[in-house]
Amino acid sequence: MRRTRLRIRLLISILFWVILVSARAEAGPSASATCANCHKSKVMEQRDTPMGRALALPGSNFVLKSHPRLTVRKGSYTYVVETHGNESTYSVTDGARAITVPIRWGFGAGAQTWVLERGGKFYESIVSYYPAIVGLDITTGDEKLTPHNVEEAFGRELSDDDKKTCFGCHATGTQVDSKLNLETLKPGLTCQRCHEDSNEHMAAILLKKLSPMPRDLGALSSEGISNYCGQCHRPWDMVVRSHWRGEMNVRFQPYRLANSRCFSGTDPRISCVACHDPHQNLVHNTSSYDAKCLACHASVATAAQVAASEVPKTCPVAKSNCVSCHMPKVTLPGGSSHLTFTDHQIRIVKPGGSYPN
Amino acid sequence: MVDLSTKSGRELGKVDLEKISQCRWYLTALIVTIFPLMLFTSSFASAQEDPTGFAVLVRQADTARETGDRAAAIKLYEEAERLNPRWPDGWFFLGSMQYGTNSYAAARDALTHYIDLTQNATAAFALRGLCEFELGEYPQSLVDIQRGLALGAANQPRNEKILRYHEGLLLTRLGRYEDALQSYGYFARMGVSSPDILLGLGLAGLRLPFLPKDVGTDRQELLIVTGNAAYLTLAGGNDDKAQQAFSNLFQRFPAEANAHYLYGYLLFAKDPDLAVTEFKRAAEIAPSSASPQAMLAWSSLVRNESMEAVPYAERAVKNDPSLALAQLVLGRSLVEIGNVKDGIDHLQRALQIEPNNLEAHLALARGYSEGGRPQDARRERLICLQVTDEANQIAH
Repeated sequence: MRRTRLRIRLLISILFWVILVSARAEAGPSASATCANCHKSKVMEQRDTPMGRALALPGSNFVLKSHPRLTVRKGSYTYVVETHGNESTYSVTDGARAITVPIRWGFGAGAQTWVLERGGKFYESIVSYYPAIVGLDITTGDEKLTPHNVEEAFGRELSDDDKKTCFGCHATGTQVDSKLNLETLKPGLTCQRCHEDSNEHMAAILLKKLSPMPRDLGALSSEGISNYCGQCHRPWDMVVRSHWRGEMNVRFQPYRLANSRCFSGTDPRISCVACHDPHQNLVHNTSSYDAKCLACHASVATAAQVAASEVPKTCPVAKSNCVSCHMPKVTLPGGSSHLTFTDHQIRIVKPGGSYPN
Repeated sequence: MVDLSTKSGRELGKVDLEKISQCRWYLTALIVTIFPLMLFTSSFASAQEDPTGFAVLVRQADTARETGDRAAAIKLYEEAERLNPRWPDGWFFLGSMQYGTNSYAAARDALTHYIDLTQNATAAFALRGLCEFELGEYPQSLVDIQRGLALGAANQPRNEKILRYHEGLLLTRLGRYEDALQSYGYFARMGVSSPDILLGLGLAGLRLPFLPKDVGTDRQELLIVTGNAAYLTLAGGNDDKAQQAFSNLFQRFPAEANAHYLYGYLLFAKDPDLAVTEFKRAAEIAPSSASPQAMLAWSSLVRNESMEAVPYAERAVKNDPSLALAQLVLGRSLVEIGNVKDGIDHLQRALQIEPNNLEAHLALARGYSEGGRPQDARRERLICLQVTDEANQIAH
């Protein structure tokens, strides 16, 4: 009898939680605001980072609003991206035929590529906006495409996996039961994109409890953080599986970092979050990273200790601006030369040396 | 000119090569495309060295070969090589002629001499692999054929068909069924089909480590129906037709657990949910089979559900500890849930079974990294890059 009563209580308790959590999940759009009740500064700062602004919807696409008419000719095709008020369109023509569609999704806060919908299919725009030229050029990765007609010149069709990946890394709440669901999409990366179980935590807060706490991402090992950030920035194994060799892979920071001789999966001094706070804008002042490097490379070591890998080397050239030499800037090759990335493969760069894979 | 589609399934492996030798297309293609210049230059050089003995033999051997007198050509090339065993081209012609007369052991040895003396022995690797296939030296045959492919022996569609087909047969014979399906995928993408190809594909699909010549007539229908369903799925473009072919297969052979596994495997990239349904069906029909359990674990890992992967992976290892995939999924899932030490053990076992298994190397690199062994992780990562480079060469 007592066991039955216990079971009923347990059942009621479970039902209560299910209803509560479901209600909070449906209230997704205001979830960031709810996080801000306690974590205001983090939420406000993160919202204005490139990750927070990774996807722009019509009306809030400031890249397009700032550049109401963009045009470029590529081969036989002319592209025009026009914005009037809150509406933007993407057009391509070969002079005889034209395709024009509205732009619903702008991917990227600096350089911007558009995912376009046409005839029930999704396409990546063949041209993108690049701040370095304040204009349009071929989308990175599409340089080798040679369109034979306006349809092919319009865009690269996205597979189901491509769609999930694109939206999953530029927006929040894009998947329901592992399927892409654009109805629940929130632009940019908000709290729940990384802190996946924060809804349960918020439900608990309503009951004046702290538990369950979201997963403590800070407790991940350096290897674990690389893989976590690598969900979007590409982890080491994905780059290897995909055989992305050459300078184009400088875009994939977790891969490059893991190639560094100093990378250790259990050393918290060398990880994505050791140098970058994902809630804040990227720091461009190179000297501000010196302390991160010197956390390992400051000690005075004998040659024998260094040879035995007991302690890291110290730099014989300088004690500041480490990254300016050891993490050089790499401009993407070929048609993608409007983008420059910091190489996260930390190393001694030799003059005239080739790009290490 | 040989067309794979003209041969019966039963006689496949052997008859292919007999036909090849009868038609001499393969030798002719190689000789015509690669060797005339080498022949001219080396014969010229040899003639200058010894105008009375060796050069005369070479000329006579070449004449015999060009006029189709294989027996005489073989004899003359053998004599020439006795005089000058460092003459590479003679070894190649000798090996080619011997291959054409079904003297596979002698041909293999002659080609080995050629390979030892020559840097760019692309065609010789491929041809030696075909000799080894006939001699039943399957592991070495696969190595040579894949090396030939990597170096560019598939420079003509006809050559590529022969080599990819044998690669598929060998991978199946050696129990590397998933790799064999990839190999046969070439034919599906090219729209090339024949009963032999379907039979080979059926063997790979049903995970039977045999060559077509070893299969009894009672199993042929099952294999052809399976091969056809797999072919249609690999070809893509008509999902309904492929689905219908598999439905037909399941209806006619309901007890074939591996047929469900095959369908799941082929669907996995496109429709992982349906693939999981098929793996579960395969596991129901054959609870002691390791592969469906391993793929169920793999499906969980792909969804980042490492904890859910563990019980499937444990069952897979229990069912067949010699299955590399089983050791891989258990090792990887253990690493991902934090049991790094045991995970590394299983991943090392996976690599003992399949030393070039990229996924096992990748997972092991992560395991070492998570386990505070940066030097081992770094070494493992370098191996990963080597393995992908080699795989990329073979694929292209």
